[in-house]
Parts: sequence; structure tokens; C-alpha cells
Amino acid sequence: MANEALHHVQLRRGDVGRYVLLPGDPGRCELIAASFDDARLIAHNREYRTYTGTLLGEPVSVTSTGIGCPSTAIAVEELIACGADTFIRVGTSGGMQPDLVAGDLAIITGAIRDEGTTAHYMPAEFPAVADPDVVAALRAAARRTGCVAHCGIAHSKDSFYGQHQPQRMPVADQLLERWKAWRMGGAICSEMEAAAIFVLGSIYRVRTGGVMLIAANQERDEPVRTVVHDLHGVIATAVEALRILIDADRTARRSI
Amino acid sequence: MKDPDGRQHHIHLRHGDVGRYVLLPGDPGRCEVIAASFDDARLVAHHREFRTYTGTLLGEPVSVTSTGIGCPSTAIAVEELIACGADTFIRVGTSGGMQPECHTGDVAVLTAAIRDEGTTLHYMPVEFPAIADPDVVLALREGARRAGIPFHVGITQSKDSFYGEVEPQRMPVDARLLQRWKAWVAGGAICSEMEASTIFVLSSIYRTRGGGVMLIAGEDMAAPGLTAAEQQRLRGLLDIHRVIRVAIEGLKVLIEHDRAAAR
Repeated sequence: MANEALHHVQLRRGDVGRYVLLPGDPGRCELIAASFDDARLIAHNREYRTYTGTLLGEPVSVTSTGIGCPSTAIAVEELIACGADTFIRVGTSGGMQPDLVAGDLAIITGAIRDEGTTAHYMPAEFPAVADPDVVAALRAAARRTGCVAHCGIAHSKDSFYGQHQPQRMPVADQLLERWKAWRMGGAICSEMEAAAIFVLGSIYRVRTGGVMLIAANQERDEPVRTVVHDLHGVIATAVEALRILIDADRTARRSI
Repeated sequence: MKDPDGRQHHIHLRHGDVGRYVLLPGDPGRCEVIAASFDDARLVAHHREFRTYTGTLLGEPVSVTSTGIGCPSTAIAVEELIACGADTFIRVGTSGGMQPECHTGDVAVLTAAIRDEGTTLHYMPVEFPAIADPDVVLALREGARRAGIPFHVGITQSKDSFYGEVEPQRMPVDARLLQRWKAWVAGGAICSEMEASTIFVLSSIYRTRGGGVMLIAGEDMAAPGLTAAEQQRLRGLLDIHRVIRVAIEGLKVLIEHDRAAAR
């Protein structure tokens, strides 16, 4: 079969490394790729922008998913078809526990499937869970970069404004009641893509994880809401985790 | 819920009767076998299906409490054990393999659970993931390595009906059972058991740590054409001591990890 470009991401097999970072925003890809060696822009179609470079001599890529699980599922499906097998979501999120301060990082172990996409793949009872080696690599990476990191469950939702302005939604009562349950369950941050990455990771036997900047935290009692936009810590942590995984994968290959 | 004598209503334990680390088998008959791996173990309580021994490992108080079969009794055990001061739970037991590479006698180290049961819905909407603690997962994986027992790391199906799994064709909802089983297998679930999801969801809610390691029954021992020697080999591998060794080694790894972190 001809090596044709995949419909949405416009990438062919060999265009990406096995390790792919997944921000939501196409505008952040270039900033992330600046941490790679010899990065070059490979493709940009719709919200999918891809750079490939190397880390420790190993091909690595960054592809934006766009906002939400529908476009994220398409990106992950097509990246797997291009040969990728390790995905780390990198982006921003809102804090859900009072001890998370804007500027801290959230390392995600699993995701609440509060979205519609993964129900097209799996019954709701199936857990959206990150790979334990990716989680461990991200935790070790955060220690190296000196970022304050919390480890736990993310809330993956379909509606940004349903979270930020629930009171103006017709289903306000339901949104507020469920938000309270997620908080009591210990969810540490709210974002919009992790659940799809994790469920597809289980189905296709690829490794997934995620590290999020806590951009703000509506659960903290602050006179003026602190908002942090600086992505350097979260990007440095994701890139360092890739180095740790590349090293570990090489060691595992040698020991076979 | 405390009785007037200060004991928890179902498990008949008081605060301080258990260590912070508790192994959770389903079968009360297995508690004594597990406690034999502790130092200075003694029977602390036995009421209904909840049988508890407490001893030490590396000088640290540890316990084993049986949950009985299923999530309803498991939720009661975990609730009351937390009230007694426990904060780290490791499920230990048997399970059915769900992938071709999961062979009889291997162990499954659980990362998360499919919530195919009714109990956790009394706590959390279904979209919430039943997730094991990452430190417990890594400790149990290291425990399997130290014990030298082949292991798989992944998701378990926690179900409410044993016979719905092993004899789905005779259930009125057979089509649904079979279709969902196919989805779980496609999703990579490695084993099927009946308690893990509750331990994981309750641990998220109460900020305790949950994990689990299961002995796998893989190959069908009643399969036609299986020689007597092969049947005997499989029966030998289906030995609960294998998974107990992994759990005990894993618990030691975790105790060492916690001590290092506290320093």
C-alpha cells in the first residue's frame, strides 16, 4: 500500500517519532519544538500542526490536537497509523483542589470520562488510565526541573463554559453536583483531552500520560484570581520525561 | 459505624487493631495463609466474612482482612478499615485471564478497574476512573520481579456476577454480557475479578492508596484434549502462594519506599 498522508494530520508513516507530545493549541507547537534538536515543521492542516526533531538522537514529535476529545481522537488514531506509540499530553488546566497553586504542575494518572468521544469506543465503566511508566517518568522529570508537581486524576470535559460558568447553563444543577463529586473524589485538575488519549492508548496498546500547568484555580480563596501563562516549566518537564523514557526504553532493549 | 463497645459494626476492629498497610483477600480462609508470611501474626477479629490478622513486616504493623466476595462487602470492609487507621490497601486473590498471553500461574498487577458493578455508583458517577495508586503499582511490579513470577500490568474487570462471566450464554442478558466482554478484551483488560474497583474508587475519595495483584487462571483446565500431565502442571501453577509471595515482596518494597520518603 502506498504511504499516503493521513486524512486530517497530513502525515505519513515515518514523518513522526514514536514519542509524541500533544498540546491542544497549534500555536504552542513551535515553542515546544524549540526544546528538540533539529526540529522542523512537517505538516499543518486544520488544528493539527506537527514538528519532528530529536532528543538524545531519537526522533520525537509534537502534534497539536485542537480543543476537545473529538479532534484529539482523530489525532491519536492517525499518529498511531504513522508509527507513534508513546503520547504525553502537555497543556493548561484549572486546579480542582485548594492545595494546587497556579504555576504548579498536575501529573495525570487517570481521567474522568466527562465527554462524549470515548463512549464511541468503550462503555463508560472502562477506566481512562495513564501508563505507569509514563507517570513515573513525568514525576522523576518534575523533580529534575524543580517544578512543584501533584499526581492524580484529571477531569476531561466537553464544555469549557460549562465548567467556568455553570450557573448560566440549563443543566446547571447537574454540572454543579457532578463537579462537587469529582472534587470529593480527589480530581486535581480540569482539562479537555486526556480521557480520549488514555482510552485510545488502552485499546491500541500504546503508552500515554499527561502533564498540565495549573493556569488558575477557582477552588482557592483568593481576593484576585492568580493566573499563570508561563509554559516553560510544563514543557521542560514533558521534554525531560521523554528523555527519561528514551533512556529506559534503550536499557530495556539492551537487556533483552 | 461504631458499636457501643467501640468496635466497627461489621469488621469488629477498633482503631489501632490494624497497621496502615492491609492486604485484602476475598476469602476468609486465605487470611491465615497470608498472615503466615507476617512476623508475630495474631488473629484480631472474625465476624461474618471479615477475618483479620495483624503482625509486622520489616518491623512495621501490617494486617490482612478478608472482604468476602463482591463490591458491597468490600466497600464496608474498606470504610471500616479506614476508620481504624489503615491507609494502604492491596487486594490479593485469584482472577480469570482475559488476554492470550495471560497464562495460568502468572500474576496481574492492577493499574485500574472497569466499574462493571453496582457499588461504586453509590459513591461516584460512572465516568470517574477506578485507579490504583502509582506507587503501589510500581511496588507490586517490583515485588513480582523479586519473587521471580511472570507478571502483566494492566486493567481488571470488576464484575458483580461470577456466573455471568463464566457462563454468560445461560443468562437472559447474554448478548449484552458477551458484547461488553468483547469490548473489555479489545480495551486490553488483563483479568477479571470482583472487588478491585471499589477499593480504588474509595481510595480516591478518602485519599488512601489502593492497589492489587491477582493470580491468573488462564488456560481452561477442562479443555478437551488436555493430557493428565498438562492438567496437573496447570493445577500446580494455580497456587495461591505465588501471588501471596508477590504481595508480600511488594509490600516490603512499599514500606521501604515510604520510609525513604519520610526521611
